[in-house]
Amino acid sequence: MAGRTGAQRPNGATQGKICQFKLVLLGESAVGKSSLVLRFVKGQFHEYQESTIGAAFLTQTVCLDDTTVKFEIWDTAGQERYHSLAPMYYRGAQAAIVVYDITNQDTFGRAKNWVKELQRQASPNIVIALAGNKSDLAQKRMVEYEEAQAYAEENSLLFMETSAKTAMNVNDIFLAIAKKLPKNEGGGPAPSRPGGVNLNSQQTQQSEGGCCK
Amino acid sequence: MSELGEADFGLTTFFARSHPNDKCGANGLPLTPNSIKILGRFEHLKTISHENLCKYIDIQRGKHERLLVVTEHYQQTLKNVAKSGKYSVEENLVTLAYEIVKGLAYLNKRGITHRNLSQENILFNKKGKVKLSEYGLYYMTEYGANVAFPIGHPQYLSPEVLCEYPVQYDEHSESEPSVLTPTGPKSDVWSLGLILLEVLTGEEFWGDLTMPQTFFKILSFVNSDIHPLDAISKDLDIESQVKTLSRDFMDFLRKCLSASPMDRANPTELMDHSLFRDLRQKNSKTKNGHRLFSSDLRSLDLELPVLGQNGYNKDYNEDHLSLRTMEEVYYLWQLAGGELFGALKREGLVKTKPPIHLLPYYSTLDGEVFGQRRDQAELLDGTIITLSQEQLRKRLSEIDETAYYPLLEDENSQVTTNLPSSPSNSDISETASLPLVIREKDVEYQFHRIILYERLIKGYPYKKSHIWREARVDIPPHVRAHVWAAILEVEGDIYARYDSIDKETPTNTDRQIEVDIPRCHQYHELLSSPSAHAKFKRVLKAWVVSHPQYVYWQGLDSLSAPFLALNFNNEALAYSCLSAFIPKYLHNFFLKDNSQVIQEYLAVFSHLITFHDPELSNHLEGIGFIPDLYAIPWFLTMFAHAFPIHKLVHLWDTLLLGNSSFPLCIGVAILRQFRDRLLTYGFNECILMFSDMPEIDIQRCVQDSIKIFCSTPKSATFRQHAREPNKPGTSSSRPNISYYSRDYNEQPKSELSMEPVKVEELKTEKCCRISAEDLIEMGELCGPSSSKSPTKRKPNSRPMIIVIDIRNPEDYAKGAIPGSINIPFPSAFSPEGDLNPCAAVNVLNQNKQQVKVIVGSRGKNANNFAADLVRLGYHKVCVLHKGIDVLRSTNILTVPPADYF
Repeated sequence: MAGRTGAQRPNGATQGKICQFKLVLLGESAVGKSSLVLRFVKGQFHEYQESTIGAAFLTQTVCLDDTTVKFEIWDTAGQERYHSLAPMYYRGAQAAIVVYDITNQDTFGRAKNWVKELQRQASPNIVIALAGNKSDLAQKRMVEYEEAQAYAEENSLLFMETSAKTAMNVNDIFLAIAKKLPKNEGGGPAPSRPGGVNLNSQQTQQSEGGCCK
Repeated sequence: MSELGEADFGLTTFFARSHPNDKCGANGLPLTPNSIKILGRFEHLKTISHENLCKYIDIQRGKHERLLVVTEHYQQTLKNVAKSGKYSVEENLVTLAYEIVKGLAYLNKRGITHRNLSQENILFNKKGKVKLSEYGLYYMTEYGANVAFPIGHPQYLSPEVLCEYPVQYDEHSESEPSVLTPTGPKSDVWSLGLILLEVLTGEEFWGDLTMPQTFFKILSFVNSDIHPLDAISKDLDIESQVKTLSRDFMDFLRKCLSASPMDRANPTELMDHSLFRDLRQKNSKTKNGHRLFSSDLRSLDLELPVLGQNGYNKDYNEDHLSLRTMEEVYYLWQLAGGELFGALKREGLVKTKPPIHLLPYYSTLDGEVFGQRRDQAELLDGTIITLSQEQLRKRLSEIDETAYYPLLEDENSQVTTNLPSSPSNSDISETASLPLVIREKDVEYQFHRIILYERLIKGYPYKKSHIWREARVDIPPHVRAHVWAAILEVEGDIYARYDSIDKETPTNTDRQIEVDIPRCHQYHELLSSPSAHAKFKRVLKAWVVSHPQYVYWQGLDSLSAPFLALNFNNEALAYSCLSAFIPKYLHNFFLKDNSQVIQEYLAVFSHLITFHDPELSNHLEGIGFIPDLYAIPWFLTMFAHAFPIHKLVHLWDTLLLGNSSFPLCIGVAILRQFRDRLLTYGFNECILMFSDMPEIDIQRCVQDSIKIFCSTPKSATFRQHAREPNKPGTSSSRPNISYYSRDYNEQPKSELSMEPVKVEELKTEKCCRISAEDLIEMGELCGPSSSKSPTKRKPNSRPMIIVIDIRNPEDYAKGAIPGSINIPFPSAFSPEGDLNPCAAVNVLNQNKQQVKVIVGSRGKNANNFAADLVRLGYHKVCVLHKGIDVLRSTNILTVPPADYF
């Protein structure tokens, strides 16, 4: 598939270390979150990508020099109502892509709110990328590139305009994130369980073990 | 609903205009194919039903934007009949005019302009009644915008239609071509006037003129002072014949043939013309039958034929099939092997052209092409193929005529047998045991089922319980829409209710609804059409507006999709079904804050998985694959987001018969089907698997969920957020629907019943709780007679449950549940976590198939014990809610026999 350089799985390459990162996608509904993930993970694009209810999960591995970076991607539902579920997905995430639709000013406003929330409530070292999606519809543009870029710089966010439809900048934005993520902790801060989110943070996960309490 | 009568099925085909490749609409999505747009608009035509109109029955899409349209059809055309000179007699002409006007007036009322009227498409049935056909082409093609050919017969086009043409499409523009200003119904009246003149004189006007000359002639009327009627009479030298007409008729023709539409009458006005004075009176007829789901008095106009009078006996019709509706016969025709493409091919209507012939001679670098001859196939071919009904009639020939009129009640028994036997097929019930896919393709079986259901639905709501009973066997696709509505107990004047809801005023959920609809079940041809999108929006808005306590959650769109697909032409019914479905299965799921409701639901789901499949449950919990991560879209949409509609309908056929806990069992059945894979998978594989629902055997899933449901104690799925019981009195109006379909919450409550448990507490528990009632019932502690459960147990078989008392032996000795075994918790498990062997454990191991009810006293011991049993792989483990104390008030507890110890 064209334009997927760098996003391939290593061919049995065992050299280098393997890092695992949790990445979450946030943004207003119908801006193309699921489409970005689908393009990145499977190289596909569905014109009529179904709406995401709750959240969806996918993984993809990229190679960076001698490091293999494995992304565990949580794709969230965009509808405002699902907002209350979002913290359980971005909690513990090392990276986030906040997506807006360049043809819709409101989605950019919503993206800014997500960035604020992440800065306030997510892990302090989280890498945040801002993606202005649907760049193939540039003739319908409502959010200027410069405006978004200035905002991204102000907030030290990675920024790219992407198109899930044409695959423009899709791999690039994930790669840029991978580069920016710290990889010095010996395989990255691997989660206690692979990719799992602790939905009951107050409850301990000790039901295993079989001892009588 | 119109009966087949002696109608044929006529098949026509034409091409929709194809979009240039890679062109996108304003939203970046590909343009909706014109054939899909037509498909959506066609649905409205199916509702057109009038004695002077041929019915539209079906439309199908072929390759390359080809469309195939099936209509009611007759061989006799006006063109043939007029040759006899029949219409030189004014009386005949008046009748003809009246019947055509009646048809046109009805179309007018339904917002349809024919635009295509000609002598060839004014048909006559065997009784000589006028049947207009091809009247829907202009409407379904969005006034010609979706096809590349012009609509209308040149010589009958009215001046204003010609003034509008031709329209240039800008193939290179970004936006879709704007819809043409539709011509009003008055253009049909012009055509009618000309046709009447033609058949009166027996001449075809302007037959020797070229098309431009014809158009010139017609347009010349516009600026002339002479009335077109006079001009035409003079021009064609037919004045002598026209003069013989009565004054009324002349006036009528003048009203038809006015050059300006302003002066012309519309069909509805023509109905009141004095010319039809006598005919109007004859036509006041009563109507039998009523519309389902309305508050009309159903017997108000009922006229029953009296035996021996009015030639009733003479009217006895040997051809019973002709009394079935056209849609039904067509459905059976397809099952009997009828196939449209085959018919087209046989008639040589599928012309293929080698692709090389389609190449242009010259193409610029910009992609502009020259010298490409127009593909003749894109033009309208007027051929109508008559579809033979022979094969169907042969298949049904041996069916006894009584099968057309099955008796619903039997004198001897209240319940008649579900399935009639038929001499041709020794026993239909044999077919009933075959897999559903086979049953649905069996023409004879479907024939019996459809007729039976159709009768039952006519008797709805009085026949409600009978419909329930039949639905347990299966639901024929052809009648599914109404059967679902009946099972959901939709009643009353749904149309008035739906009409009274404001579906237009903008609200702040509109944006969300608008972005969700274009991606909801769009693989479905009908649902991807613009007509469907408009309907979707109205139904969803109607629901949101009329349920102020709830809000729109993404997923509601998926939930409404099956109802809309089934009731495409009946938004009110789609809405009513949705409104009845949600409280039944998704009570409070659409609250603004639904987290308690969903969390409780998922906790109970976890318990259910543990109850039926501890091994799987242990594994999934071990890898952290909890229902919150995958099951929310399942339950929030009742699987409508997980499965395509053609599979979902089969799931819902059964789901609708179960109570609000049944969907939980479906969830378990789905996990069960993928059990082997899930057990070997880690977290990532598991979640990836469900992020894109794998192929599933839906029939097996349905069977499994029924088994799971029947082997789950009722109180185990108790949820405090489930729907409160109806007010007393209202529920009694329901028929004796099955034990399974009643909700736990609807049963009378006592201190032995379940009671709400905090969600947080539920989530810490591994096993489900059951009520003392269930314990008493399943353990038959009050004697077998009290059993309410229909699950019949063979006499002398073991009880369904084994009660494990985990209190210390002293307490146990003071009073315990009869038949219970005592495994004191503190000494039950070895340091390795295994059960310490003892007599009681042996009993437990001998009864592995039984439901294990853990009974403790206060505290968490019982739950912990149960969790340990699950860890060891014991299935069907549950805990008695509130422990042994709850039974103190009953007289059940006894002192165990001394030899127990």
